[in-house]
Amino acid sequence: MTSPGLPATLWADLQDIQPPLIAGILIGGCLAKLGRVLRSGSVDAGLGPTQLFPLRLRRPLAMLMCAFEMSLGLALLVTVFPVGTRSGAALFAPRAATGTRVAAAAFFLVCVAALAELRGRRPDLGCGCFGDFSTQPTGWRSIARAALLTGAALISIESPALFLPPRNHGALLFLGVVCAELGLIAALSPEVSEALLRLGYTDPCELRQLPAGRTLAALRRSRQWRKHAQAITTELPIDMWRELCWRYVVYPCRLDGKNAEVVFAVQLKRRRPMVQTAVLPLVPDSPAAAPGHPVPAQGWGHQEAMQLSTGVYPRP
Amino acid sequence: MVVQRGDLACCVRCAGPGSAERLARRQLLKAAVHGGGPGRSPAGFPGVLTGTVVDTSPQVITIYGPDGERRIALPPGPVVWKGRAADPTALESGDSVVVRMHPGQRSVADRIWANVGRVTGLIVERDRESMLVDVGRTIRCQAVLIPPHAMGRLQVRFPRLEPGYLVDFIGLRGRGFLEALVPATSQPAYRASEAPAPAAVRGHAAVRIAGSAVWHEAAGPADTDGVRYPALDPETACPEQPLAAAGCPRLPYLSVGSLLEVRNECTGSARVLPVSGCAATAQIFCDRCVTCGTSPRGRVADLPMAGFVAMGGDLERGCFNATVSLGSRSPASPPPGSISPGSPSPGSLSPGPAPTGRA
Repeated sequence: MTSPGLPATLWADLQDIQPPLIAGILIGGCLAKLGRVLRSGSVDAGLGPTQLFPLRLRRPLAMLMCAFEMSLGLALLVTVFPVGTRSGAALFAPRAATGTRVAAAAFFLVCVAALAELRGRRPDLGCGCFGDFSTQPTGWRSIARAALLTGAALISIESPALFLPPRNHGALLFLGVVCAELGLIAALSPEVSEALLRLGYTDPCELRQLPAGRTLAALRRSRQWRKHAQAITTELPIDMWRELCWRYVVYPCRLDGKNAEVVFAVQLKRRRPMVQTAVLPLVPDSPAAAPGHPVPAQGWGHQEAMQLSTGVYPRP
Repeated sequence: MVVQRGDLACCVRCAGPGSAERLARRQLLKAAVHGGGPGRSPAGFPGVLTGTVVDTSPQVITIYGPDGERRIALPPGPVVWKGRAADPTALESGDSVVVRMHPGQRSVADRIWANVGRVTGLIVERDRESMLVDVGRTIRCQAVLIPPHAMGRLQVRFPRLEPGYLVDFIGLRGRGFLEALVPATSQPAYRASEAPAPAAVRGHAAVRIAGSAVWHEAAGPADTDGVRYPALDPETACPEQPLAAAGCPRLPYLSVGSLLEVRNECTGSARVLPVSGCAATAQIFCDRCVTCGTSPRGRVADLPMAGFVAMGGDLERGCFNATVSLGSRSPASPPPGSISPGSPSPGSLSPGPAPTGRA
């Protein structure tokens, strides 16, 4: 950051920021994978290139990859620290730093190849790079991101030790470079949209679970209910069903001395749901309620299944 | 209360003979309360014949089906699937067949599937070459037999044939069991109880949802004309769900009798079908269909065999890329206190092209 020309300064800043940035991505990826494992309770609930390997290798490979990411990320962070606190101080372990950065470049290069292979052989799978956030099918963005990080790791090989930028216009330039690279990585990351989606999430009404009891309670508080309550002839509805954001409740009623049905459509909303209503003459042979119960059929076939292998295909 | 008994609300075939009238009336009641028409009528499955072969010859077969006996001319070539692609000579008397008629020629077969069956569900018990599969609580557990010559092929895509894991096999239906021959998808690497959490949905759920449509063997007459849908209202305590899995993908809740437009994205064929029950295992498969391109993750419809074939699907493939249309949403979020009786009902299907069957 001491180079006089703007291009040289930009290049130096670009080199400087790579090790911590790559380290952050690697550690973040590992933590996201661990989170997925903790949520699902199984290492097998994995995505990504490990699915290309034989079954017995998937679990150890997934664990190895996660451990490698974490180790590499920590190593990149540790080896970027300077011996002293002043600008331009040497790395305290230059050989280890170079080795770590070469390893990171090699890792991302392998990732490029693995993701390209995954896209070709299992186009339905997400890359799994950031656990649950990486469920979209592997696309060119994920591959381009891995290629970008390969390049980033390569240009960081000669970068000096990390130190705080000076408090002048150089700091702004440095910050701009950081933001630009983060923006580029975000643009190449399908996970960003998924992460933003999860912030401040509430179920839309079509997916919201609302007990039928609350629907009935809301209905009985409504003006439409009071309007038809005198005509309704039963305590309980004869039919109730839900479609999207509405629950429909049907009661038998008497209208001008004839049998009819009154249907209420109650909006599935926690507060002040809208209620609409209509009355239809009852078809004489319409069933008031459907008879019959589902018949559980557990336990059937146990003997059959266990005897089949010997019965149809005699054992050698 | 009907809904609390969980019969009519959850499964047509569980509910008895009176359910059809009640379900038909639901559309009328809904149209009355929201205004507008009751929506499109279910289209059925023309162009597909199901039945039992009673007589065969190299050029003509006689099939006994729900409408009596019918003679079908056979085109040359491997138009029959009976465990594998075969010539019409592979058909035998007594074979249970699904015939897709040639478009434009009502008495000529286009494709024939003989004795085809499918088992989709959770392995309950495993023996050397057979297993017991839970396919839903209201349906009997299915016995699956894996012949030695098919074991290798199946294990490429279903490596874990152990209790707790999911299977989806297509094969030949025997007496009380399925002889598994073809993997219908790839096995999820996790146990069924460890299914990943579904993705969050931003804003309103989509009116049109893309995914894959699969098929099942109809469990009774009430199950043959509709479509099983994976997300029935949880308040109905659907007895067909085999697992309390989170589900994939998250679909808007509907009920039995709701109308659903199912579109085959590979052929452009579409049908409006009533929901006939809960697709018990569809929500725990987070797979994609690659029949024509890669579908979004998740199974959105489970069609009976005749419906799947009528919409251009090939049974041995197991799925087709599909889109389901749930209905327009305009009345769902009106301004507080306003009533718009002239607006379309939430369950009525949004305007779109008329159903165009393959046959």
